[in-house]
Amino acid sequence: MLSFQRSFSVSPSLQLPSPMETHLWFVVPDEFKSVSLLNQYMELLSPCEKENVLSMRGEQLQKQALLARTLVRTTIARYQINNRVVDPRSLKFKRNVHGKPELEWESDGGQCPSPLRFNISHTSSLIACGVTVNSSIGIDIEEKQRKIKNNILAFARRYFSLHEVEHLSAISDSEVQRQEFVKLWTLKEAYVKALGRGFSAAPFKTFTICIKNGFRRGFDHADDLESGAPEVVVESSDHPERLTNNWQFGLFELVSSHYAAVCMEKDKTSDAGMSVPIRLNVRKTIPFVEDECISGTDAVVPIAGLIEQF
Amino acid sequence: MASVSATCPRFQPLFSHSNKTGRAPGLKLVSVGWAKFTGFPSLKASRFRVSCSAKPETVEKVIEIVRKQLALKPETVLTSETEFVELGADSLDTVEIVMTLEEEFDINVEEESSQNITSVQEVADLIEKLVQQKAQGES
Repeated sequence: MLSFQRSFSVSPSLQLPSPMETHLWFVVPDEFKSVSLLNQYMELLSPCEKENVLSMRGEQLQKQALLARTLVRTTIARYQINNRVVDPRSLKFKRNVHGKPELEWESDGGQCPSPLRFNISHTSSLIACGVTVNSSIGIDIEEKQRKIKNNILAFARRYFSLHEVEHLSAISDSEVQRQEFVKLWTLKEAYVKALGRGFSAAPFKTFTICIKNGFRRGFDHADDLESGAPEVVVESSDHPERLTNNWQFGLFELVSSHYAAVCMEKDKTSDAGMSVPIRLNVRKTIPFVEDECISGTDAVVPIAGLIEQF
Repeated sequence: MASVSATCPRFQPLFSHSNKTGRAPGLKLVSVGWAKFTGFPSLKASRFRVSCSAKPETVEKVIEIVRKQLALKPETVLTSETEFVELGADSLDTVEIVMTLEEEFDINVEEESSQNITSVQEVADLIEKLVQQKAQGES
């Protein structure tokens, strides 16, 4: 423990996210140039993770893989559990029955299993990790400028639902269509990742995500909510009776360059019919060096879903 | 590979001739596909048809498509053993690659099959299987 504290600056420990809160942490690979810092990060990884990093083809991909694991470990380690400092190296991960990565928390002497849930997404230019408590979470990040190699409508007809194809077909401007496609992709990915049952359990064609123009549902909304923010709704195409209103979405622009989608389970204690906003905290980090909270700035621009930044 | 492409122009007349006569219907399907996208004449395609794992040409085509989709540097080495995770392919890349391959080979890949694909060789084998199934279905 002592050597750990000497080698790495211990970040101030944070309160666990509350219900309906998502803490989003991200790194920008281009900001990491120091070889000695990257070597420090390497020391945090398990032997298996190190092997995976080194099997990546090329330095850039290796760096991204290293930063992804570093981000997950250091982010989770920030949240002090039971007043104990967590060494990022000590964290263990496993996959659930469907292959979704999860935190493995050894309970010793009556300790409760970790309530922390996380999900990670990468692009070559930004890697993000979302953290919640007791709520399944899925996130997806894509570059706003991402070019689709295939014809967008052909792709949508092949992989998306009928309603989604109709929505995209109705957009005449090809650039706007491409943007809407990318946004839809991130929302669908975030949903499937939140479900945590793998791609084949919820093939993209079997559900529709719809961004409905904002309207008041007749409930009292807090004054500081975005009034008229477009609502994001998911419906099952082939099993209309399947429960889908227990998922809440948020879509926003991140640092002007990326679309980010968050999908989390609605808090079980709130009314199923009510839409409670996702409370979102966004921080850019260089682990062990600096953190910058960017929620509420123009670096985070909500596009759809009920989002309350803090 | 350089030697292969050098022989292509020599075989060109032979390909167009066999296509017109339509002598072997099953072969024709494969040869049309090959000629359209790789410039390989039907004669070459027929010679490899009996092998069990994917033809080198299929593997090459998969590699070409993967390179383009992932915008890989020319110095990045890709072999049939290469796994997609090693190349940093994300889920959208993978789905785009599958779709491009479906169009190139005129096949349909079920989502369940694409789940189990992890390497270039596996994709190539799956493509061959689907192309053959399709050819058999149509003859």
